[in-house]
Amino acid sequence: MQIKPILAALKRHKAGTVLIALQIALTLAIVCNALIIIRQRTEHLSRPTGMIETDLLTVANRWVGVDEKATPSLGKTDLEALRGMPGVVDATYANSYPLRGGGWSTSVNITPEKKKEMAHTTLYFSDDHALATMGLKLVGGRNFRPDEIDWVDPKAFDTTPVVIVSKALADKLYPDGSALGKVLYHSGATKPSTIIGIVERLQVPWTGTWAGNFAENAILIPRLLTGNFGSYLVRTQPGQLERLTKAAPALLFKTNRMRVIPDERGVRTFAQVREQAYKSDRGMAVLMGVVCAVLLAITAAGIVGLTSFWVGQRRKQIGVRRALGATRHDILSYFLTENLLIGAGGVIVGAVLAIGMNLWLVSHFEMERLSLLYVAAGVVALLLLGQGAVLAPAMKASRVPPVEATRSV
Amino acid sequence: MFAYYFQLGLRSLRRNPILTALMVMAIGFGVGASMITYSVFRATSNNPIPQKSGQLYAVQIANWKTDDLDKGEPPSALTYTDAMAFMQAHKAKRQTALYPIAPSVIPADASRLPIEENSYAWYGDAFAMFDIPFLYGGAWTQAQDDAHAAVVVIGRKLNDKLFNGANSVGKTIDLDGHDYRITGVIDEWNPQPLFFDPVNTGGFGDPIGLFIPFTRAVDLQMSTAGNNNCNDTPGPGWSNWIHSECIWIEYWAELPTTADADAYKRWLTGYAAEQQRAGRFKWAPNVRLRNVTDWLDFNKVVPPESKISLLVSLGFLLICLVNTIGLLLAKFMRRAPEIGVRRALGASRREIYVQFLVEAGTVGLTGGVLGLLLTGVGVLGVGWVFDEQIARLATLDASLVLLTLIAAVLATLLAAFYPTWRAAQVQPAWQLKSN
Amino acid sequence: MLKMTHLSKVYRTEVVETYALRDFNIDVKEGEFVAVTGPSGSGKTTFLTIAGLLETFTGGHYHLDGIEVSQLNDNARSKIRNEKIGFIFQAFNLIPDLNVYDNVEVPLRYRGMKAAERKQRIMDALERVGLASRAKHYPAELSGGQQQRVAIARALAGSPRLLLADEPTGNLDTQMARGVMELLEEIHREGATIVMVTHDPELAARAQRNVHIIDGQVVDLSEEPRFHAHNARVADA
Repeated sequence: MQIKPILAALKRHKAGTVLIALQIALTLAIVCNALIIIRQRTEHLSRPTGMIETDLLTVANRWVGVDEKATPSLGKTDLEALRGMPGVVDATYANSYPLRGGGWSTSVNITPEKKKEMAHTTLYFSDDHALATMGLKLVGGRNFRPDEIDWVDPKAFDTTPVVIVSKALADKLYPDGSALGKVLYHSGATKPSTIIGIVERLQVPWTGTWAGNFAENAILIPRLLTGNFGSYLVRTQPGQLERLTKAAPALLFKTNRMRVIPDERGVRTFAQVREQAYKSDRGMAVLMGVVCAVLLAITAAGIVGLTSFWVGQRRKQIGVRRALGATRHDILSYFLTENLLIGAGGVIVGAVLAIGMNLWLVSHFEMERLSLLYVAAGVVALLLLGQGAVLAPAMKASRVPPVEATRSV
Repeated sequence: MFAYYFQLGLRSLRRNPILTALMVMAIGFGVGASMITYSVFRATSNNPIPQKSGQLYAVQIANWKTDDLDKGEPPSALTYTDAMAFMQAHKAKRQTALYPIAPSVIPADASRLPIEENSYAWYGDAFAMFDIPFLYGGAWTQAQDDAHAAVVVIGRKLNDKLFNGANSVGKTIDLDGHDYRITGVIDEWNPQPLFFDPVNTGGFGDPIGLFIPFTRAVDLQMSTAGNNNCNDTPGPGWSNWIHSECIWIEYWAELPTTADADAYKRWLTGYAAEQQRAGRFKWAPNVRLRNVTDWLDFNKVVPPESKISLLVSLGFLLICLVNTIGLLLAKFMRRAPEIGVRRALGASRREIYVQFLVEAGTVGLTGGVLGLLLTGVGVLGVGWVFDEQIARLATLDASLVLLTLIAAVLATLLAAFYPTWRAAQVQPAWQLKSN
Repeated sequence: MLKMTHLSKVYRTEVVETYALRDFNIDVKEGEFVAVTGPSGSGKTTFLTIAGLLETFTGGHYHLDGIEVSQLNDNARSKIRNEKIGFIFQAFNLIPDLNVYDNVEVPLRYRGMKAAERKQRIMDALERVGLASRAKHYPAELSGGQQQRVAIARALAGSPRLLLADEPTGNLDTQMARGVMELLEEIHREGATIVMVTHDPELAARAQRNVHIIDGQVVDLSEEPRFHAHNARVADA
């Protein structure tokens, strides 16, 4: 329609035009990348661990002044005491558990060749009570038998004849679904381990992006680690969790007081574990969300400010147009079109900036590639924002009376 | 004249309260966000021992084949074999091998529960190397290192807990059932990042409150409380483990001059070559000496969240500035008639510059105050995004307050430069022409 | 006081050169009251802007109070405007954000005067134009005649040697115009040099001397004003 005269007018307001376009471009670039960060940080928040997370208590334990040879008997006493507590369904001892943050990771293969790593996995060292305590769902095979359980020095651990694996790992090793009964070799061991059971899901202890490509690869080893540090997991009856949060450590101290249960993060319900594990992810997502919102508001405010100024500057011109027969709608659409043109320029530059910035972030940080869908969504959002922001000043312009044309300055 | 311009500025700002509020908010939010994230970045990228960071070197050597290394860099820890060889060679002014241990202090009073304390096993040299201040007594001697002596240095907090803060030098404490004689109590010492062991601490954490000789810890077969990485199964038992290629020890050398560092590097390369000749290494020497700042860099102590959020907030500030340029331009050019009159009445360009820059500076200062409030609130909320260990390092101190205000004013002046230039270009004659 | 010789002013655009003034000669003596007349577009206003150092010129010479101004930089020109010249504009050009007192103060501020002296001069000047009681009013609260008197007070406050007026009564009704004119005459009697641009023959008649400009050149320097006033009307039509 009236694009040519608008472009001509914009040429006379180069600075303002460039500023608005630049602001739109930068906003698009930052918002797109912030959205990617939000998505990346939030997509794991709801990832299930594979465990039944309610009524689950974790207790970190360190024995004091004991020989590693003594830990098996101490551990057995503790476990018996815990399992005998009223309100306790089952209890187990493990080197780590999902979302704990620290654990054992290693490579795994289906042949004894050391060179090639088929997958990365975590190892959970626990006993035949692990499945029941953690609430894991066995989808194939069987649980460990009590006679398969033993204690082992972590520094001397090699491998075990049998293992239980997560389904994700089983499918990775044997894509045809035939993993049950087959063997695997982990940590470069030369002796095979037979897969006797498959659990539906079991997450690794880490939530970081670096563990993202093996987040659900886990092997349960029927061994308890000697050494003075480990965690008790306790499954409680419904409604007993809170009481046991105090009662369980008290009982442990009663059983043997030569131990340390850290004040901070020593005793945690699994709900607390989950919250702490994802705290920074959630915080980062909220932060980026706030940044985006404020950014869009500021950009909108900037557009309102500059357009208002232009309208004020061109009152006489608008009056003349009105006097020459332009309708209010003509004036309104003039300013809307003008903004759309500036916005279009801005988003084109912005899209390039957004992608460039993303590529840089990908190469320097553990960032995901920006999908064009996000850019497209950002483009539409910013164009709409621009139109919304320009509406008020444009309406004001459309209300300039034709008599303005006759006024001097 | 400055006061006059300041007055004019205030008056003009009052004149368009909405436009002014927009600019103040843009500056305030932009600067606030930048300062909050900067406070975290400042804490995490801090040089914890500036007076010596160029003289302390972490030692690395590739004891694994290149396939097992990350991007060809030697691992961030050493084997017991190499660490002991370096200690015995004694090629630096001071040196120490170190690893985190997890002993518990058993109080003499049987009714009290054991106390867990962040602890390290290292050599007596470490105290002087890392400039650790003593409250009572001092480090243990090299002779005690050599004798695998049962001695200990404890932190002030533990001393308060066990001895009510009294001078405890010469007394003994029970660690995991073994007695240790106290040779010194260290005063407040809490470098953040924990530069001497970012590998096991992640760089941040509670102060270390207990140290025993490395030689003693190994005698007692105390396992590392940190990472242990093996590229092969070491075989059963302690002896197999410490003689394996498993890596779990950090190693530091104090080399006062560049010449010392060069000489040490040559010696280290020679050592690796020797290992190659002996058949232990089947690859060419691959060694590194990294000073404190390089070491912290290499171990990526600054969390990516800190860098990304700083970058995003700087981008945010940039947008706020572009926004401010636009708004100032509108505000100043709306007053073109006034500028023309002032020019006609004898204001030089310089005076127009000063008037409008002062006005912009006023906006900047107000924005800075808002930014300061936001920073104050934001710093309290840092724990939302970052670990508590890091969050508590981010504080609003005098230097940050000053920086916030200066950044706000400078940023606004920068933004005001173009609009002011445009304002100063207004020709006095326009006043007559427009008639 | 004000002497222009062979002065020219060319406006250049990409396509054309327009002479606003060409071979322009004028000599205004100290203490004179000169009216400059001429049709629209004749160059009156250009002459005034150059005379007031609001604009530079292309060629020739301009001596103001004995100083050759063509080589002066912006700072020096600003200083001369501030100290030697007082302006009275057709549209008054008061700063709407400032009250009467502050408006009159503007040129004194740029002269770096002490506060006490500023106050004295401002009040004297406002007294002079009969608006001392309106010192705290804003321009929008005053009538057109009052606004122009404030503008005159602003011009007077700095005790300029040369007063330049551009259609000072153009935006005023007859009665207000008369008041303003009387004020100018009074100022002239007290010794100021006044150059006034107007196309109103009645006003021009009240000046000591008339200068008529057509097409950027002074066409006559007659002492007889009415004849030229007639000419002006013809040219206007």
